[in-house]
Order: sequence, then structure tokens, then C-alpha cells
Amino acid sequence: MKGQRALRQGRLLPTVVWAAALLAVWEIISWVLLDVAKTPLAQSKLPYIHELAGTFGEYGGTLWREGRATFGNAGIGFVIGAVAGALLALIMSMSKWIEQLAFPYAVASQMIPILGLAPILYGIVRDEQISRVLIAGYITFFPVSLNMLRGLRSVHPSALELMAIHAAKPWTVYWKLRLPASLPGLFSGLKIAAPLAVTGAILVELMGAQHGIGVIMLRNLYYGPSHVYMFWSTVIVGALLGILSYCLISLCERLLTPWQPEFRRKGGDR
Amino acid sequence: MGQAAAAPEIELSGISMSYGSGGADVLAIDRISLNINKGEFVSLLGPSGCGKTTLLRLIADLLQPTDGTLKVAGASPREARLAQKYGIVFQNPVLYDWRKVRYNVTLPLELMGVGKAKREERAEELLALVGLAAFADKYPWQLSGGMQQRVAIARALSMEPEILLMDEPFSALDEFGRERLNEELLSVWSKVGSTVVFVTHSIPEAVFLSDRVFVLSPHPGRLSAVVDIPLPRPRTSEMRNDPAFFGLIAHIRDSFEGV
Repeated sequence: MKGQRALRQGRLLPTVVWAAALLAVWEIISWVLLDVAKTPLAQSKLPYIHELAGTFGEYGGTLWREGRATFGNAGIGFVIGAVAGALLALIMSMSKWIEQLAFPYAVASQMIPILGLAPILYGIVRDEQISRVLIAGYITFFPVSLNMLRGLRSVHPSALELMAIHAAKPWTVYWKLRLPASLPGLFSGLKIAAPLAVTGAILVELMGAQHGIGVIMLRNLYYGPSHVYMFWSTVIVGALLGILSYCLISLCERLLTPWQPEFRRKGGDR
Repeated sequence: MGQAAAAPEIELSGISMSYGSGGADVLAIDRISLNINKGEFVSLLGPSGCGKTTLLRLIADLLQPTDGTLKVAGASPREARLAQKYGIVFQNPVLYDWRKVRYNVTLPLELMGVGKAKREERAEELLALVGLAAFADKYPWQLSGGMQQRVAIARALSMEPEILLMDEPFSALDEFGRERLNEELLSVWSKVGSTVVFVTHSIPEAVFLSDRVFVLSPHPGRLSAVVDIPLPRPRTSEMRNDPAFFGLIAHIRDSFEGV
């Protein structure tokens, strides 16, 4: 434990230094663009950090409220899409026939541009909440299904033979072997899908919703250079929501599958 | 041990096995007949390509013979498997990564529907027998290869199988680890008394462990000799220096020369 803490402290300092250096470089480039090179619309290209921080302070409440609306809907859609994707993977793993039937459609569904699908869907359901949920679910579905199916299929033949030798029932083989073995695949699918679900929800909001981070993003883009700091703030909030979703999934992964190779402590204690 | 039993525990008559379909069949096993008695420790010994692992998998009902009949305790291998009479140890430990050592050992008992308290008690006992009591709450990857294979043995023996099938279980270990595990296996086996079918390509290993050695020759797999091992039990590491031990090794090696 002591060694671990030292490691964490050893990692903390470089992280802080890097972050500080990055912000300093950002601020300098911003200054160069604005005051030295005197480029037109310099602040739209790279605004001052301190101005952004000010905007965050002033409009934090709005950003929080709209961000929460986006994240909530994206989250619900993500869960629905993940469950549907995992179930399809389970069914496909049980029958090669169903896989051959369903898989081409699953792939084809990913060929439809979300940018085109979102307004169509919005036109049909006429409800921004439902549209956001559906698009987030739609985006989540495929990577989860694909990675989980690979996980379910990754079981070593000998591990299956062990089950056969002890006359395990088919559902026992799933419960005690295939499902645990598929968790790493499931989580890589979830980690790919989570930020995409957020992006998808924001995209739907651009189509004319009333609430959400995408709405104020679009509004401030329309108002032009005068709202540049607010526009940048919404972009940053969007990115933070994506990062947050990824971190949440990673945390779940760590708690539920501590046995995965990447979580093993170096050296072990053999 | 138990050679006097009336009916053999495992009975193979005229077993043949060919792989592939159509005209390009490869004959892996050619009309092998042999009997294994209850409580007996036998080895299937031979070079690669002699079909020894295939033979083990036929007994285990993981494969079906193309010809001949196979009886296990008077029934078919399938019935024996479904009656959960088998335990198995593979060449690799095949432990489940997400289960701690303790719960890898209890797995067969779970599949048999044994209660939780009883299962964990058995796991404690077996892990103590293979000298891993202190590692019960580790994950498999925290153990060395030899320790992992010991866990696999504890797992196979946890349900006190009527028949223990072992497919080159120590071939991935070095010579020292192998000899030590040979001795440990015999001491654990003496407490359980299963019928053991042990596949190996090591002559000293087969001689040290077995009551009888079935020598197989390759391409196609045929039974070329059956050698009784009259060394007394319990067998100890000193026996490895016994002239009788060397004599048996030489005898088996000679039986290969003729192949």
C-alpha cells in the first residue's frame, strides 16, 4: 500500500506540471494571435484562458443545468443501447444462424450518418428527450454488441471442456464461464460507446431542442464573436461530459473486473 | 491395487478413430483394445502422433470413436460423464481468471450442486493437501506455473472423481518441478483412490506413477506393449535410484525400438 501511494504521488507532480505548462502555452499562443500577429477573430481561434474561466464563473449555473440535461438523456440512451447490444451479442453467440441473419443489419445500421438520422428521427417522434435517448442508444448499441460477442467467443476451448467434463448445463456454462469471460470485451465496447453517446445527444440538440448543452452551443455560435467565450465554454463542457462518461465506465470496470491483466499490480506477490 | 476386481472400470474394445471427412481421413487410432481396473493408476505412453491424448478424450466423451465400443463402469462414456464420474487435469492449468484460487477448486462441486459450506471445507482440505493453503484467496495469476497446476489437481480431486483423467499435466514444468509434483500427486491420489488415466511422453514419469503402462506407437496409434510396474507403494523419491526402476525404463525404451 505504501508503495502504491508513493507511486501515485510520483505521478501527481508530473501531471500538475504538464497541465500548468499546457495552460501557459495556450495563454501565450492566444496572446500572440491577438496582440502580436493581430489575426482577425483571434479570440474565436484560441480564447484567453482567464476569460473562459470568468465565463465559467458567471454562467456556471446555466452550463451545469444544460449539461445535466444532455448527460441525463445520453445516460438513459446509453444504458438502453448497452442492454440491447449485450442481449443481441448473447443471442448471436448462441446461434451462428441468428448471427448471420442479424449481423449484416447491425453493420448496415452503422452506415447511416447520424447527422442525417437525427433530424429524421426528430421529425418522427417530435420530442427532444426521446430523440436524444434514441440516438444515444443507437450509437451505443453497435460497439457494445460487437465487443461483447468477441468476448463471449474468446473462451478457451479447454475451459469449455472442463465444463463439459463436469456435465454443466448450457445456462451454467454461460453464467459461470462465458459471461465472466466476456466482461473485458463488454467494457471495451462501453468505453468506446460512452463518449459517443454524449456526442450523439449533443448532435440531436443542434436540430432544434429547447434544452441541453448543444442548444446553447448553437445559440452562441449564431451570436458570433461577441459570445465566443460562452461558445468555447459549451464546447469544453461537452468534452468534459465525454471524459466524465468514460471515467465512470472505467471505474465500474475496475470494480467489477479487478482480475483483468491491466489492473494487476506489477511483480505480483508470488 | 484392485486388479482383482471382477469387471474392469474402463473397457476399450477395437477402438478406432479417424479425423477429417471425405476421402482424406487420417487414422489416429487403429483398433485399440485395453482394460483398466477400478482404482488402478495407468499411463498412456508414447511419442507425439500416437493418439494418446485422443484416447483420453474418447474415454472422457469429448470425442466419439469411429469404430469399436467403449464402456465406463458398465455404461457409455456419455453416461459416465453426465453422472459426473470424471475429473480432468489438462496440459495447461485452465483456471478461471476471475475466480480466486479457492473458488477455482470449488467449481466442480458447484456444478454438482454441493452446498457452499461443504464446498469451501473441501477446498481448504485439498489446498492443504497440495501445499497451497496460504494461497486460497489469491488470484491464479499471482501463482507460479507449478502452483497453478497444483490448483488444477486440487480442483479435479475436490469432487473425488471415480475416474481422474490427466493429459500431460506436468509437461510444461521443468524436471525438478515435475518430479516433485509426481510425488505430490501420488500422495494426494492415495487419499482419494480414483482410477487414474495419465497421458505422458516421459518414460520415467510413467514408470514412477503407474501400476501399468500402455505403450502406444504412432501413425496410426496402436497399442504396442503393456508393461506391469511391480514397484511397491508408497513410492518415494529414493526409488528413482533403484535398479528396478531403471530396468523398467530400459524395458519400455526397448519396446519402442521395435516400432
